[in-house]
Amino acid sequence: MSDPRLRARAHQQQLAPAPAPAPAPPPPPPPPMEPPVAVGGTAAPAQDQAAVASDSSFKLKFCTVCASNQNRSMEAHLQLASANLPTISFGTGSLVRLPGPSITQPNVYKFNSTTYSTIHQELSNQNTQLYTANGLLNMLGRNLNIKSYPERFQDWIPGKPRLEHKDDQGFAGTESGVVDVVITCEERCFDAVLEDLHNKGGRMNRPVHVFNVDIRDNHEEALVGGRGIRELALMLNEAAVQEMETHGETGWDSGGGSARAGFDERVPDILAAWQEKWPNLPATWSLAWF
Amino acid sequence: MSNTHLEHARSLALTDSKYYPSLMPGVLPLIGPNANASLEVQRFGADFLAEMFASPMWSAEAKQPIALLVLDTLKYYLDEVHDRGVVKGAVQAAASVYPLVYRHTISDPNDKPHWQTMIDIKSNILNRMNTASPGIRICCVKFVQQVVLAQTPGVIDPRRPDHSDVSLALVPRDHPLLTYVHLEAEGHGLLDRLLDIIHGDHSDALSVTSVLNSLGVLIHRRPVVANKVLNSVLNFNPLKLANSPMTPKNKVNMKAIERTTRALLVNTLKRNTTERPNDPNNGRIQHFLERMHRMRQDMMEESSRKRPAPAERTDGLDPAKRQRLAAGPPTVTTTAPPLSPGPVSYRQLFTIDPENAAANFDVKMFQDPALVQQILIPILQSIDEKKLLEASNVVRSRYLALSHSMSRQQPPAPVDEDEYEPDDYEPEDAEQVANRLDSTGDITHVAPAAFKLPEAPRLSPEEVQQHGALAVRRTFGLIGELEEKGKATKGGFNRLAASDYGRDAWITIAARLATRASAGLDDPDDGIKDEYAVKSIKGTLSIGDTIRDLLYDYVIRDWKKRIDVAVSWLNEEWYNDAILVQAAAASSAKSSTNGVAPPKGHYHRCALRLIDGILPYVAPQDKGLIRLYSELPTLDYEILSRMKTMAQDPERVGLATQVLQYLHMFRPPVKNVVVQIAAELWRENDRAKPKAGQLLKAWRPEVLAEAGGVEVKMEEADANVNGNGNAVAEVQAAA
Repeated sequence: MSDPRLRARAHQQQLAPAPAPAPAPPPPPPPPMEPPVAVGGTAAPAQDQAAVASDSSFKLKFCTVCASNQNRSMEAHLQLASANLPTISFGTGSLVRLPGPSITQPNVYKFNSTTYSTIHQELSNQNTQLYTANGLLNMLGRNLNIKSYPERFQDWIPGKPRLEHKDDQGFAGTESGVVDVVITCEERCFDAVLEDLHNKGGRMNRPVHVFNVDIRDNHEEALVGGRGIRELALMLNEAAVQEMETHGETGWDSGGGSARAGFDERVPDILAAWQEKWPNLPATWSLAWF
Repeated sequence: MSNTHLEHARSLALTDSKYYPSLMPGVLPLIGPNANASLEVQRFGADFLAEMFASPMWSAEAKQPIALLVLDTLKYYLDEVHDRGVVKGAVQAAASVYPLVYRHTISDPNDKPHWQTMIDIKSNILNRMNTASPGIRICCVKFVQQVVLAQTPGVIDPRRPDHSDVSLALVPRDHPLLTYVHLEAEGHGLLDRLLDIIHGDHSDALSVTSVLNSLGVLIHRRPVVANKVLNSVLNFNPLKLANSPMTPKNKVNMKAIERTTRALLVNTLKRNTTERPNDPNNGRIQHFLERMHRMRQDMMEESSRKRPAPAERTDGLDPAKRQRLAAGPPTVTTTAPPLSPGPVSYRQLFTIDPENAAANFDVKMFQDPALVQQILIPILQSIDEKKLLEASNVVRSRYLALSHSMSRQQPPAPVDEDEYEPDDYEPEDAEQVANRLDSTGDITHVAPAAFKLPEAPRLSPEEVQQHGALAVRRTFGLIGELEEKGKATKGGFNRLAASDYGRDAWITIAARLATRASAGLDDPDDGIKDEYAVKSIKGTLSIGDTIRDLLYDYVIRDWKKRIDVAVSWLNEEWYNDAILVQAAAASSAKSSTNGVAPPKGHYHRCALRLIDGILPYVAPQDKGLIRLYSELPTLDYEILSRMKTMAQDPERVGLATQVLQYLHMFRPPVKNVVVQIAAELWRENDRAKPKAGQLLKAWRPEVLAEAGGVEVKMEEADANVNGNGNAVAEVQAAA
């Protein structure tokens, strides 16, 4: 199923029988929370939906990335933000691409300047029934409640304060415009992120853990993947909080015990443990620099 | 309380970075050494400093004076505070601050205290490199990267001075605090330390990927060390962990290292292909990436095909069987590598450790003897006596061994004294050049040996043909580009062929090359099998045929405009054939050898091929065909009979008869042939009958009389047929 055409076709097939809600007026219903039908063997491990980060003063900051900053990264953005974690999100594609009336007529928008509500408006004017049936309007309605417009990773200036994004979900903690963890949803995006960080040259001297969690680009998989990412993020955050707590003389010299180890060195272990639990979301990781 | 204060200050700075300078005097006392601050505040302080100097929102120029203010605080954090969070922040801030203080010291050579504090901070961080916990260690890696950047020379392009790039190139040679040589040596040493990490233990993927991700900038901005870094990366096996047991963590680590290496190399390759397309490294990187991809695929295949072997069975448990993965710690004793066989230079003789960076150091670089003294005396003082003895023993034994072998051998070949070529030092002035010339005069034993280029491999006949065809094709590329001249100035009989560089000149050259160059060299039996199949005689070496093919293509592509080309080419063919026939006749007359077949001409074959090629494209109104026929040097029955073929198309009957008529009028030598063709046309082609009949009525009425009695009927039938023909034409047009 690596062929994008096949994938797109499967996508349509999966979407075809989806019940079409009434023509979606913004704001739409919140994303469905019921466990999705198992698609392609991806079974969602049983998981506590209510898990959120504790309200301690320290939290890791997250950034989710997919191709168009619409489906997978936005689902993950929502999940992380509702888990009480500081989150921003981006896309690495050259343009925002959404399916159109046929495979050769995609809807294409510019990053950073087209708002979700504009896109929503345009698509519902174009063909309400079609875009309701394939879930686009539902998705866009969700997105416009999360933040205002899709952003491109390559145009992001890390370290530039993001005060103008204060209405975005998951804003608290991301004011300074840097993150500790980047989670991409596709190998292509992972490569693009590492490549872009090379190009930016690491001028901030700030380490960032870049993860990739492979998620297929459809609504169901995005939901499952978003939950996986949420769990991973909570695991990472917990380790980071533990590091913060083992401070002072005691934590400094006495090693031993995984909780005593620092956050950074525990990342491979955490990812390995997470991967065991989520075998259908192949993941990888690298330590890069802002 | 101070905490909310500080938070407030931070959020103010986030709204506009211009507040940073004015905030510092208020913030520093709260977080600094004398504040007795709580751990919470110190953590905040370290993060705040790191964030402030990392911010892209204000310039390095503005940061530079502030950097001097915070040095004491950073030093205090590193020396006195034992908390991971604080140290991490402090090391990050130090990495950003180092280039700033470095540049400040360059511009203010008298400010020793600040530089001294920076050096203390640096040594504190470097000491942590091997012992600190991994989270801090990666920050140290980034600090070291910044030091390497600052202490290796950058590219100095006078056209594009990059003021933001702090590099060794900014350091003047006579700086009292910054000794160029020391900084450079330290930079190289630290780079080696970085590179050691990626060749070290791969179960520590955190460090390895952090180094790999920091190398990209070094490769890009420091061409001096780019080769070294790339060599190191290309000699590195990202899949080293594949040999150890496949625990989930190892899987994560291996994949991390592999993907990170790939991203680094792909990034370098992309940059190189735009900036330095001829860099020989590009091929190596490509090769490396492909190999890595294959290896990974092999592994994936293996793991997907078979069930993984049970973990306890692996031989990894038995230390005797385990493959040695990591290189052992470097041996301390100085073991000098043996000299390479063959002639040896003095430099090689005295070089104990060719790997060492100092071995490549050229002392000639120092122009100031005082500077040399300044460096040499401390070095001599600090030399370990034992090491010196060992080293001199090594040299002594080498020398003995050499002189032994020398006495048996010829005197050594002259040593190339100038093998060291610094790539970017200022050009020598005239005096230096003169000095060098003087001194080379003294060295009598240096005899300039003739330098021979290695012989190129012999070309196979196919290659020769390919290259020849390529050359010809390029000529035609040129011809195609040259504009056809609007109005050719007629030079009359005085003009010389190919005297300008226009299209016609090249056509003439090409045509003559095709016809005359290999004239008489053909195998007389060649081409008997298939006269017209020029394209099928692959494998012969005939350049002429290659050119003929291209000339043919060239004409066919736009025959109406290129009739002149066709005519001049065919004229050359005809002329050459005629000359050859003459020569053959002369030689056979002289030698009277029987059996020398008269050389087969090319004209006839080429003309036929060209006409056959053009005919399908001729429209009923194309009068150009008449011109072409009239200008061909020789016409015979076969060439003219092509008119019969053309006349099978009812629309072009008119044109065919016009050609015949014209030739009959203006080319008396072919009159008979023309009449013959017309007669055949009249007999064989019903649709052409009326037109051919008209011609024959004037030329040879007896042909018409052959038909005699049936003529009237025929006329009628002709009309019918004509009508039918028109109908057919109409149908065709409609289709």
